[in-house]
Amino acid sequence: MIRSHILVCAGAGCISSGGHAMRDALRGELKKRGLDEEIKIVETGCIGPCDLGPVLLVHPDGTFYQRVTALDVPALVEEHFLKGRPYKKLLPAEPGTANLVTTARDFDFFAKQHKIVLENCGLIDPENIEEYIGRDGYAALGKVLTSMTPEQVIAEIKASGLRGRGGAGFPTGLKWELMTKVPTAPKYVICNADEGDPGAFMNRAVLEGDPHRVIEGMTIGAYAMGANRGFIYIRAEYPLAIKRLQIALEQAAKYGLLGKKLFGTTFDFDLEIRIGAGAFVCGEETALMRSVEGRRGQPQPRPPFPAQRGLWGNPTNINNVETWACIRLIILHGAKWFASIGSPKYPGTKVFALAGKIKNTGLAEVPLGTPLRDVIFDIGGGIPNGNLFKAVQTGGPSGGVIPAEHLDVSLEYESLQKLGSIMGSGGLVVMDEDACMVDVAQFFMEFCCDESCGKCAPCRVGTRQMLNILERITNGHAELADLKKLEELSIVVKDASLCGLGQTAPNPVLTTLRYFRKEYEEHIREHRCAAGACQNLFLSPCENSCPLHMNIPGFLQLLKEDRLDDAFELVILDNPLPASTGRVCQHPCENRCRRKTVDSAINMREVHRYIADTIFEKTTAEKILKRLSKRKMAATGKRIGIVGSGPAGLSAAFYLALLGHGVTVYESAEEPGGMLRYALPDYRLPTETLECELALIRGVGVKFVCNTALGRDITLEKLANDNDAVYLAIGTWEEQDLGVPGGELKGVYPALDFLNRVSHGEKIELGKKVAVIGGGNAAIDSARTALRLGADVTIVYRRSREDMPAIVQETEEALEEGAKLVVLAAPVQVLGESGRVTGLEVAKTILGKYDSRGRRTPITTNENYIIPCDTIIEAIGEKVKGAVAQKLGLPLNKSGTIKVDPWTLQTSNPKVYAGGDAVTGAANVTTAMGFGKKAAAIIDRQLVGVDRFRQLWPRLQYGNTVPQHTADGSRNVGKLVPNDVRRSSWGEVSHTLSAWEAKTEAMRCLRCDLKAHPVDENGAHSHQHSQQPAVKA
Amino acid sequence: MNLDELKKLKEKAQRQVALREGNKKYRVVFSMGTSGIAAGAREVMTTMLDEIEKRGLEDVEVRVTGEVGLEDVEPVIRIEEAGGEKTTYAHLDADGARKIVAEHLEKGKKVDKLAVGKEKKTD
Repeated sequence: MIRSHILVCAGAGCISSGGHAMRDALRGELKKRGLDEEIKIVETGCIGPCDLGPVLLVHPDGTFYQRVTALDVPALVEEHFLKGRPYKKLLPAEPGTANLVTTARDFDFFAKQHKIVLENCGLIDPENIEEYIGRDGYAALGKVLTSMTPEQVIAEIKASGLRGRGGAGFPTGLKWELMTKVPTAPKYVICNADEGDPGAFMNRAVLEGDPHRVIEGMTIGAYAMGANRGFIYIRAEYPLAIKRLQIALEQAAKYGLLGKKLFGTTFDFDLEIRIGAGAFVCGEETALMRSVEGRRGQPQPRPPFPAQRGLWGNPTNINNVETWACIRLIILHGAKWFASIGSPKYPGTKVFALAGKIKNTGLAEVPLGTPLRDVIFDIGGGIPNGNLFKAVQTGGPSGGVIPAEHLDVSLEYESLQKLGSIMGSGGLVVMDEDACMVDVAQFFMEFCCDESCGKCAPCRVGTRQMLNILERITNGHAELADLKKLEELSIVVKDASLCGLGQTAPNPVLTTLRYFRKEYEEHIREHRCAAGACQNLFLSPCENSCPLHMNIPGFLQLLKEDRLDDAFELVILDNPLPASTGRVCQHPCENRCRRKTVDSAINMREVHRYIADTIFEKTTAEKILKRLSKRKMAATGKRIGIVGSGPAGLSAAFYLALLGHGVTVYESAEEPGGMLRYALPDYRLPTETLECELALIRGVGVKFVCNTALGRDITLEKLANDNDAVYLAIGTWEEQDLGVPGGELKGVYPALDFLNRVSHGEKIELGKKVAVIGGGNAAIDSARTALRLGADVTIVYRRSREDMPAIVQETEEALEEGAKLVVLAAPVQVLGESGRVTGLEVAKTILGKYDSRGRRTPITTNENYIIPCDTIIEAIGEKVKGAVAQKLGLPLNKSGTIKVDPWTLQTSNPKVYAGGDAVTGAANVTTAMGFGKKAAAIIDRQLVGVDRFRQLWPRLQYGNTVPQHTADGSRNVGKLVPNDVRRSSWGEVSHTLSAWEAKTEAMRCLRCDLKAHPVDENGAHSHQHSQQPAVKA
Repeated sequence: MNLDELKKLKEKAQRQVALREGNKKYRVVFSMGTSGIAAGAREVMTTMLDEIEKRGLEDVEVRVTGEVGLEDVEPVIRIEEAGGEKTTYAHLDADGARKIVAEHLEKGKKVDKLAVGKEKKTD
């Protein structure tokens, strides 16, 4: 007796990842162990999760094994088949946990699907007709031929509400009925299996995994429409599907299920395969028919429609693979059953092909009307590598891009159309934050341009012209007027093209323009591709992601060449606070570092910390300034007033002073530095480090006026009158209210207030037990500061630990120092006795639906508990000081931040610019600095009338060779001060890299900045860009 | 082919794929840990599989599992009846296996002589 079946996926995906070798090994191993008499191997069609291939499904246990290689087979057979223990190494895990899923039905990817079209796919052997018959195969055909009239069949299909699954969603029953109204004979039926959309592979899976259901559906259709001959038009790129179809056709004929006098009736039906050469246009029905006839695949004007004059001038019906695959179910289970699945208007299911940046790549069948979010996050498992969801492309080159804010759209023909996209064949290409929408539009336009058959001018010429414009945009040579031209061309191509290819080709452009217009404008105005896809617009991925656009490969190379002074010059010109940011930057560069694909990201921030620290230690400020002053431009006589001396104000001041302007910075506190001085604790950023940098900023000519607050000591009006330009960088110095009862009790501190007072040396009445609410850097800073004040600290956060916005390393260090972390807890109220805090009541939260960014939203439960504490520090976010902002007399955003033009950074008063946290809302040090740098470039251009900013950088020459070998050695990290020392000290927690560590770290750089540069008119490689990425304003 | 022929073919073919669809009346679970194998569980199983086939029983599936914690009374099997009782048999040999197939799996009569433990419902 066969006690177990091993279903080995023999879909193209699993075969290409080594499925055959694994199957052979499995066969050999079962024989070797004497299990071949009791365990049977069945090769099936696509099981679904292609990315996890090769996959196995074991019955009757229902165990699903993923990524099985030939090498795994001996252990797998011994464990599972001999000893009856699931082989853990190859089991999938529950998302976000270490729990293994031992049965396929518990694996979300399968559990949340509703398989009817794919019911047999991955369950039966597609090369064995008997297995199909065992699953009620050909029973629907038998029923139709022996007990139903053609009219009854059509009525049943009409009643089911089935619509064409090829993309347009035309009612199938109606299409069939139209055929019967044409008296001409002979008639033909065709299956359109010319699946050509990038990212769509559901038709292939049906043909490879369950070919008989298509044959059965077509035979039923032929009977209903009075056709006796049919064709399956399939592209040559699908050899396995063709092979299995051929086998299926032969077997069906052998069993008397195709051919003459089927089921003892007078009905004859013959079915042939026609292989297409893979032209995209041949998916269009009129072009397809010409191709079947053996002519060049070019579309024809409609009408006449195929039902009137189709193949060889005769009535012809064309349906998509998936449509034909639904037919037998409607006949077997009835129209009512089919209509009960999916949405009322669009019954049934749809198979979607999940591709792109998604954890579970593969096929997923869900009822129509399922929210897009469920398909992407529940079945697809969300976005890999902790990245954020950005958009999804549906319907291939004819479809459009749907952004995060429409994730809740239900998957139906109409709702997708409203968003400017289409259902198409069901391809879903998921894109994360690394995808550039202009690049995506260009990709699809290039596809359509290539595939245009050339018959009509709007498509042939229009798509080329649109592609030209898109290429200009991604190369940084476009103008804003090009966007209008692009839109106009889109309309012409859409309206005037002959067939669907041209008529839908502009959809990707139109939808990306609709939802991501700012991205297009960024490419054009600032020559910037924030996603880092358009190679010609940036130096390297690290540079592109750095808010300051530091030439990171440049300073790493200079350090490699032992040119520390040059390296420092490059660093300080790119980043006026290299030592401070080397300690506190969120280092977005590391997320983009390509070295990650080899081992781990380069520790770029600590290398520039090393460069700055070493120079500050070895050299006097005078010496550095002597060199820096060479870069300073002649005095312009212009005066600029800057309000706020935090990261944004300091950066703007530094550059504007170098550009020759007279710069005065007004600061309300007693010393300059803003958050750097007063919010970042000394153990993270020592004041001496900041002082070294401030000395240089003073040295290049910036004047500081402290103890002078805007609105109290000076007015904006006076500043604007006295200066040629004013830059507001007043930051966010007000803590957001927790909004729960008890916030007024004694012992509740806003984090900023707490940190500010500690840095001023004030004595704070801190209790023994402190609860810090929040998960950002301010929360961690407060927690570690409270620890150093001797308290017992608990950090309370409402989401999960992975969701904490704080720098991961900071959180780790805080926990190591003894802070406790309570996650999934939302504050309900602060408890108190006689006016003092006695505890914090929190509600347990559970993680609910994914939000548009791909983070799960916490949902408060009724399960409350109390965290005993006598002090509470709220660190849930900061905002602009309301009292100050109101007095400015400038328009504000809803969140209280200052409203500016996103491109010029001007407020409603053209002389007054603003930036940093005061504009963005609480962000981080480097983002604010990036704003300041950008503002300096803009203000200078505005005042002087020419673009001089890039001239600040010297032309440093350095080695430009790509490393031949990726230097060995793991990432160097500054040594941490031992826990027992650092937790009770205000001294800095981490050491600067040693010279050797910094240099070996620099050696690890892969030099992504070196690429083939376009040759300019003089025949010289343009290296200017690579030397001076600076600010692209 | 006519409808009757198709029906007959289906009945035959259904047996081939039914294993993948679940819903069998009886589930026989073999304890196949090291102690089970050492006590001869493999022979008991092959005998049982042959016997089930010989008698043409369709409504039975056979699974293996790891150690169940009854090392001293191996070979051990558990028979779970869908919606019915869970029976554990211990100290099995080939004869016992054949007897269980003939009595329990074919006629639905528990072989009390070989069964151990208290009666339990299948969950």
